[in-house]
Amino acid sequence: MTKHVIVAGVALLLVTSPALAQRGRAGGAGADASAAAAAKPTPRAADGHPDLTGVWAGAAETVKALAPGESTRILFPVRTGPDDKRIFDEMDRAAKERQAAEPNKPPYKPELTEKVQLLSDKRQFNDPVFYCKPLGVPRMGPPSQVVQTPGLVVLLYQGRTTFRVIPTDGRPHNADTDWTWNGDSVGRWDGETFVIDTTKLVEDSWLGADGWFHSNKMHVVERLSRKGDTLTWSATVEDPGVFTKPWEMTGRTLRLNPNPKALLEEDPPCLEQDGPHIVTDDHH
Amino acid sequence: MKQILWAGGLIIALSGAAAPALAHHSLQSEYDINQSITLKGTVTKVDWVNPHVYVYLDVKDDKGAVTKWAVTTLPPGNLRRGGLTRDLLGFGETVSILGFRARDGANLAFLRTITFADGHKLEIWLGDATKENP
Repeated sequence: MTKHVIVAGVALLLVTSPALAQRGRAGGAGADASAAAAAKPTPRAADGHPDLTGVWAGAAETVKALAPGESTRILFPVRTGPDDKRIFDEMDRAAKERQAAEPNKPPYKPELTEKVQLLSDKRQFNDPVFYCKPLGVPRMGPPSQVVQTPGLVVLLYQGRTTFRVIPTDGRPHNADTDWTWNGDSVGRWDGETFVIDTTKLVEDSWLGADGWFHSNKMHVVERLSRKGDTLTWSATVEDPGVFTKPWEMTGRTLRLNPNPKALLEEDPPCLEQDGPHIVTDDHH
Repeated sequence: MKQILWAGGLIIALSGAAAPALAHHSLQSEYDINQSITLKGTVTKVDWVNPHVYVYLDVKDDKGAVTKWAVTTLPPGNLRRGGLTRDLLGFGETVSILGFRARDGANLAFLRTITFADGHKLEIWLGDATKENP
């Protein structure tokens, strides 16, 4: 018997859109389920703050491996017919439609819009993520897991097997640290919201696949708030080098993985081998 | 082998918002869907890496001359969610691979189907989910 499996771009979207990748996983999609998760009691740490600890990504059940000799068909839904020779075109077209419909674009200075468009048009050659560079803060989005301890909040990201350690003991930014893809972060509580302030972000990262570059003047403030078994992430990006005003990224709400024994898995290494074979500017 | 739709399979259905955005780059920019190619050979290496898994193949011609081919497919996370692991990709085995050849003429293809010696198959298909035989 052939298994017939639909894996509609989940991991693929991890590369370009952590939002979509994580949404609809942990526990499945559905407004009702999200409302029910949010209605649960919010656990609290010993200091009285909400406890953000938990796995906020991944499937509740581990996928069972196929038996040796078992056939499978992995299907990516594409709207054109199966024998239609326009499938690759259709995939690009659908992706471009989604990008064009993006309602929340960064407020670039007018003199930079042409540069953003050029970078976007040639994203296949320019987007650092295509070439296995990190997503970086804030493009990496919300964490896959949070471990909250007195004085430290540890954020774990399954994509690229990434960690961030956020001190919450009141220390200032580390003036001696080097510039990095995830920057230098300090955390504090603002009422019920955990606020992460990040500076010293290298200008090599992008904020999104549409050519959304930034300068080394970027300053990011992320907010994490737990309501029941939901975690809402948002980020404000200030970059006086390229923006006319601060940009509120589109926030995301994740549901707690319903499996209390769920574990993140190591992400395989990234080894880009396609770049030299790309012969057209087609992109999505 | 009869395709039994959905039977016994794990179905991971996503909302319409998560329509597939295949690959970290456009397939159209790298592969020619009009150039199907069939390769018969021995799998010499499996690169279980992001952003795309690669299977390497030694293909022998009638005179025994070996040509090396690379066949790429989905990211490891997608294959994993389909129940595949790296050891199911045929390392050391003789297989037949159907793929779409790279536009630049390199010995490179995008994987459509691997058929193993015992007849079982791994198919990666981009198609219409509502049709029974994509």
